[in-house]
Amino acid sequence: MKKIDVVNKRLVWLSVAAFFVVLSLVFIFTKGFNLGVEFVGGSEILVRAEGNMVEQDLRQALVEISPDFSAARVTRVRSVGDPANVVKFSVTVSKTFEVEEKTKIIEQLESKLAQKGFKAEVVSFNETGGTAAEEIRRLTWRAILISLAAILAYITLRFNFIFGVGAVAALVHDVIVTLGFFSMFNYEINVPAVAALLTLIGYSLNNTIVIYDRVRENMKKFKGKDIPALINDSINQVLTRTINTSLTTFIVVFVLLLFAGNTIKPFAFGLSVGVLVGTYSSIFVSVPLVMKWVKYR
Amino acid sequence: MKAERVRLIVVLAVFFLALLALLWPTPNQTYKGLAKFFQRVRLGLDIRGGARLEYRVDVEPGVENPSQVVDDVWTVLRNRLDAAGYTEATLRKSFRENQSFIVVEIPDVADTTSAEKLLGSIGVMFFGQVLDESASDPSTDPRLMDLAKIKKARWLPSRDGKVWYLVREEIMLVKDLKLVSPRIITASPVPETRVGRFGYKVTFELASKDAEVFKRITQQLVVPETAIGTAAAKEKRLAIVLDDVVQFAGYVVSVIPDGKAEITGNFSLEEAKQLAAILRSGALPARLEKVSTGWVAPLLGSDIIKSSLVAGLIGLILVMIYMIVFYGIQGVVADIALIYNTILLLGVMAATRSILTLPGIAGIFFTIGTTVDGNIIIAERIKEELRAGKSIKAAITAGFDRSFITLFDANLTTIIAGLVLYYFGTGTVKGFAITLIIGVAGSFFVNMVLSRLLTDAFHNLIRVPKAAERGVEP
Repeated sequence: MKKIDVVNKRLVWLSVAAFFVVLSLVFIFTKGFNLGVEFVGGSEILVRAEGNMVEQDLRQALVEISPDFSAARVTRVRSVGDPANVVKFSVTVSKTFEVEEKTKIIEQLESKLAQKGFKAEVVSFNETGGTAAEEIRRLTWRAILISLAAILAYITLRFNFIFGVGAVAALVHDVIVTLGFFSMFNYEINVPAVAALLTLIGYSLNNTIVIYDRVRENMKKFKGKDIPALINDSINQVLTRTINTSLTTFIVVFVLLLFAGNTIKPFAFGLSVGVLVGTYSSIFVSVPLVMKWVKYR
Repeated sequence: MKAERVRLIVVLAVFFLALLALLWPTPNQTYKGLAKFFQRVRLGLDIRGGARLEYRVDVEPGVENPSQVVDDVWTVLRNRLDAAGYTEATLRKSFRENQSFIVVEIPDVADTTSAEKLLGSIGVMFFGQVLDESASDPSTDPRLMDLAKIKKARWLPSRDGKVWYLVREEIMLVKDLKLVSPRIITASPVPETRVGRFGYKVTFELASKDAEVFKRITQQLVVPETAIGTAAAKEKRLAIVLDDVVQFAGYVVSVIPDGKAEITGNFSLEEAKQLAAILRSGALPARLEKVSTGWVAPLLGSDIIKSSLVAGLIGLILVMIYMIVFYGIQGVVADIALIYNTILLLGVMAATRSILTLPGIAGIFFTIGTTVDGNIIIAERIKEELRAGKSIKAAITAGFDRSFITLFDANLTTIIAGLVLYYFGTGTVKGFAITLIIGVAGSFFVNMVLSRLLTDAFHNLIRVPKAAERGVEP
């Protein structure tokens, strides 16, 4: 394995990271997110049909049932491994329905699609009220912040504060860039997607810690060695491991992304992006960013 | 080697226990084929199909014992579900940020509407005083509406909707003499035995906390039997109101000191049964606000199981090949560790009766990554030690010893993230957190014990890096 010059070229590496952060922020603030019903409140209906039904058929049937559905989002859900003649669609609308309305919608939708010659059925109907959505949003942010804080505390305890700062900076980078990709590719942000974000925090940190651990060990071994060179060696020593680990994890979550159904797709997407982003930040952000302040104790 | 023997025994014992947990016979064999092996792992509703409803319990501020109120709500809902035949349903209380929630999960039900009707009916019950009645709809008659205003009372329909009663909560205008959301412990239909009556009556018993108030109410409203039917007596009838519908209106013929009362009215058995059920399932002591509802059809679940099994196997095989290509015999060790840890994870889930949800399956996938990661760290370490010129035995020992602290730190942070998820997550995400925590902890055990055992056993097969690679600057 050839050595990479992480330390002397660190401005280049950090600029790449900064570029992605800025790009992601631009996407997040201009294009925004495609938030799942858990976060905005509303209903999601999942329709499974046999035959070659397309979005248009479903949309037509929905609008005939109720004008509430004129603004509904209808997307086809594909997952490898589904039977060949089965199609699934997800319908989301920012409204919740009364009990009687729900029964009516399900019955009418199935009969209307049957008239068009499709054997279709509603296989899932989820709704979240507005106040609940607000609560979920609040708890989600809190969960992300608390895990970042807990992790900062843990690293400060086990290593030192400056490494904690580096690790948290890398994690913030990961969260922003992964969210940016969610916005770019228009993947829905649902509760499992948030689980993916929190997992990514754990995962990226795991990579960062392996590097920190090596730096710590080398500092004990070669007391007095020039710090930038020592850091560069440390990173390179664990590089093979980092790349192999990330690749194997990436293989697994990417396969999951191909096969996953509607609910889990955002999770698999978040982790597929997150593994790559998190690996980059562990190598090129976590240590290089705080190198100036790393000192022998 | 003593340590090796200990490791071997531990590995075999744990594996045996995991298999035992998985293969322990279950009464109902539901899965077929490959999935048979996972019979004992409980599946979440998002996989097996079923409904989930969540309600916020709106406890009125200033209630002395809010948790008691939530318990009462739970009991009432449990009774309602059981009475309607949903005995399979589970009801959980959960608390977040000083608020209480009730989560209802009903397996194998692909529609929440009937359950929603059942649970959502507010059911506020009170015992009130009947002041007047009307055979026509009072809302069309301004005079009657004015009367209600003057009397501080409301017009409420009877159960058949043919009669309206003017009902006031405060009995005889005695300050604070009212009984709202009484707790009725028992209520049952009993055959009439008294001369001159026929059919059934309903007996009920109030909880001791309400008996005293009820005694005072009956003292106020009691009328002698001879006066029944007179105009004065008509204004002293007791109404039992549920959901703003008068379920029963009648005379109080004697003071009831102990909360044990009976309602007579020559009921048929059906009527008596119904009235008893209404009294029993009665009232929710607090309002419920629907937070979310959802259901998944079992059909969707079987699609999911199929595709995740396929995806899991493909991912697993790819990773296994990758490891063997890259690490030779140590790759084989990693692969064995991988399979072992997956079985261990499922075994622990079966033993602890944890529920596997969709995100939980995703968590198992992720565990594959962390298990392999541990093995890679160890393998790389051993390579380094070999390059530094150590013997194979010494390199293995040093490699494992040094990896221990690295893996401990790295896995612990993942577990921290998992715990945060578990604490803040809702139902299905909790399932993910569980698999993540068990899986990561398991991977640490597997890497430190099983991988060590296997690496020692196969140490002759480990490739020593070429001399040219040696002496690399650390």
